[in-house]
Amino acid sequence: MIEAKGVCLEYPDGTMALKNIELSVKPGELVYVIGPSGSGKTSLLKLFMGAEYPTAGSLRVLGQHISKGQASRIRGLRRMIGPVFQDFRLIKGRTALENVMLGMRFLDIPSGCIRENAGNALKKVGLEQKMLSLVEHLSWGECQRVAIARAVSREPVLIIADEPTGNLDKDNALNILELLKSFRDDNKAIIITTHATHLIEDDRYAVHIRMDNGNMIMERPGELR
Amino acid sequence: MKNILYNTGYFIKETKTIIRLNLLSNILSFLSIGLIFFILAMMISGWWVSSHIVLAIQEEAEISIYYSEDMDAAGADRLAEEIGNIEGVHEARLVSKEEAYSRMEKILGKEARVLEYLDDNPFNPFIEAKIQIEDISLILEKLDLIEGIEHVRDNREVLERILGISQTIKVLGYLIITAVGISTTVIISHIIRMGIYDCREQINTLRLMGAPEAFIGFPFILEGLLLTMGGGALSSALAAYALKYLYTQAAGPIAFIPLPPREALASSLVMLIMFLSASLGTVGVFFGLSSAKN
Repeated sequence: MIEAKGVCLEYPDGTMALKNIELSVKPGELVYVIGPSGSGKTSLLKLFMGAEYPTAGSLRVLGQHISKGQASRIRGLRRMIGPVFQDFRLIKGRTALENVMLGMRFLDIPSGCIRENAGNALKKVGLEQKMLSLVEHLSWGECQRVAIARAVSREPVLIIADEPTGNLDKDNALNILELLKSFRDDNKAIIITTHATHLIEDDRYAVHIRMDNGNMIMERPGELR
Repeated sequence: MKNILYNTGYFIKETKTIIRLNLLSNILSFLSIGLIFFILAMMISGWWVSSHIVLAIQEEAEISIYYSEDMDAAGADRLAEEIGNIEGVHEARLVSKEEAYSRMEKILGKEARVLEYLDDNPFNPFIEAKIQIEDISLILEKLDLIEGIEHVRDNREVLERILGISQTIKVLGYLIITAVGISTTVIISHIIRMGIYDCREQINTLRLMGAPEAFIGFPFILEGLLLTMGGGALSSALAAYALKYLYTQAAGPIAFIPLPPREALASSLVMLIMFLSASLGTVGVFFGLSSAKN
């Protein structure tokens, strides 16, 4: 699913965000990317989504080579990814249902299925009762769930969640992690960045990667389930 | 395209939201576009009316040729025939003293009783020639060479003045079309840029989820077209009303001017304005979208 070989990312101001990244993510894998703020976690996810391009090395995501001048391919790639953004990026003034539906409107999902998929996804994240609530009336945790519902309703092959446990208490954070893990199957890979290492220590089936000042350290490969 | 058709309801809702975000600017843009197009509509009407008048006068162009009083009827007939053979003359016929008198009676109407105070018919017979207006100089030169002609009365001066006015209106029309084109494009592209700026986070999110640019831009295209075509419809309504008023005013004092039929003028004008508003709206939208692409 993801093949990174010697990938570097240097921003125009000279900041070296990622250094010599070597990574391989296979279908069905759950990958935790941990590390302090500014260590390069979000930059890594931006590369995977084609929001940034490697300044050195080679990166393939879902079979697409990530490089400049590939706008339509990158767009195609993004349609196969279910992103959960750190700041949710929900559209204000719209209901939870409308936000989830919006993520599917431009995909090749039959129009009749869009509402049904959105409703099912919201049910799965426990927001059945708040489908028609405006997102600005939802709590932080509920917004997080809407963002997850929007990501999974798109039937992606890769889910990328950037700090989904940020600003949540331990119980809620665990719930969110469990929820995200519940979408893992043999064909779908999940990449989660977090700095809440205490919440994931026991997950021996997941790949644990530590980012440190742009360098990637493989902490623990995941055990087979 | 399939996505756009499936999501019609969504796009209409999005367009309403975008308009609501900058409601005052959108209302003012709609009104200013309406007024700009109204000025254009009036200019085009003037252009069409003056062209119609010039054409009508050109078709009816005629000269009056007065001949020597001592010429007998047979001589006058021969002269009329000779004039009729000149290139550019469609028809030449004799107008007798009596016919000239009766024509004047018709022109004067109620005032024709002044003619009763005259002892004799004061009018002279003449030859009336319908001509091709472009050939008037050549015809006058040839008439100069024919014996027995005392003088020729033509309406060249009047026609040249009307032609001059028509040309001026035409030039003004081009200038106004250019001005309308530029100002509509600027207004629409500016309002689209404002909408894009206000929705920049939503647009970035959609891009990160892989939405095509056409899907993202479609509500803005609808907004631009709604504003320009709404402005076009407003100006068409105003122009139709203004034409009705002007025609009513013209019916009395200048009834002799051959104006084109009002209904035909108004319907052609509405079609042209709606076409122009849709075209300029499209241009403005694409300027706005391309300038705000990044």
